[in-house]
Amino acid sequence: MMHCTMDDLLALRAGEASVWARRHAEECATCRAELDALYQRVAQLKALPALHPPRDRWAIVRQTVRTERNRRRRTWGGWGLAAAAALAGALLVPGLGSNGKLQAELSMAKNQSATLQDQVDGYDVDGRVLTGRMAAKLAELEDRIAVIDSDLERRGTLKPQAQDAELQLWKQRVDLMRQLVNVRISTARYVGL
Amino acid sequence: MTVALAVPDILVARAQAGDEAALEALFRAFETPVYNLARRMLRNVEDAEDVLQETFLEVVKSIRTYRGEGYLWGWVRRIAATKALMRIRREQLRATEPLDEEPGKHGMHVGANIDLERAFEQLSDTSRSVVWLHDVEGYTHEEISELMGKSVSFSKSQLARAHARLRRTLGEGEGAST
Repeated sequence: MMHCTMDDLLALRAGEASVWARRHAEECATCRAELDALYQRVAQLKALPALHPPRDRWAIVRQTVRTERNRRRRTWGGWGLAAAAALAGALLVPGLGSNGKLQAELSMAKNQSATLQDQVDGYDVDGRVLTGRMAAKLAELEDRIAVIDSDLERRGTLKPQAQDAELQLWKQRVDLMRQLVNVRISTARYVGL
Repeated sequence: MTVALAVPDILVARAQAGDEAALEALFRAFETPVYNLARRMLRNVEDAEDVLQETFLEVVKSIRTYRGEGYLWGWVRRIAATKALMRIRREQLRATEPLDEEPGKHGMHVGANIDLERAFEQLSDTSRSVVWLHDVEGYTHEEISELMGKSVSFSKSQLARAHARLRRTLGEGEGAST
């Protein structure tokens, strides 16, 4: 007697079996038992215990996150310097209106941000032992700056609009960078740099 | 292992903004399911660990492109499955892995009283991946064929051959489906 193949059984399970296979499975106890065994095997596979990673890989992923964040920050800082230089030149041209003033403020904020970034890099104490309070403060400031950078980057992909809002973001960034520099200086003193 | 992880939208938004604590929370939520998936598809523990790491580097890099279509776990799982399959393909190119290994390899006798987990381990990487993705993770043959860059019939035949092999290895039934 011809029985169902594994292809037939899998098709039966998926509800895609041929007419012959469906009829045969109804009549043949052997094939019904095979189908049951297939269901049980799959149920057992689903019930296998979860395998846990033997080592924590978060430290490596986190390091990459931080490296990427620093790269982006430097990119913004560098871009800010270039923009500041260009706009400072433009301001020398007489007859600029309120838009010119906004541009000047924007370029100043970007310039300050870049200068503060250089100071932060000068006090880079990654890997040094920090107090928990300092580490938490640094992480908080870096996270807040990352959020602002993310906003600024999104704006970079859109048409340049609402420059007032952009200026506010840059001012917030400068304020946070100042705080970051202060914490970095305190940290450097603490670890004896 | 079935995963039904609901991740709060606010956590995803924070991760998208680059918040390190939120990214770590996502890592902690998904590290075991991702590792489990990779380890079930790959024979080697170190390879599975590497897939875990590569998956989260990709998640960190691309989280801002996630627009909330479907569950986040589905998005992460697809990245993990793709990374694991890429590794299998690399190994196949290097070692010319057979599509299906004969039972009896690895010092095992046909019909020996071994449990399903060990029988599953005896399958080739390709067969194991198809079985795991289809039967446990719930992928369709169409989705698997797309992930693997193969045809739907390849996925179906791999699944049938893998189940026939599991059945024989476990010494189940004698009458049908040979």
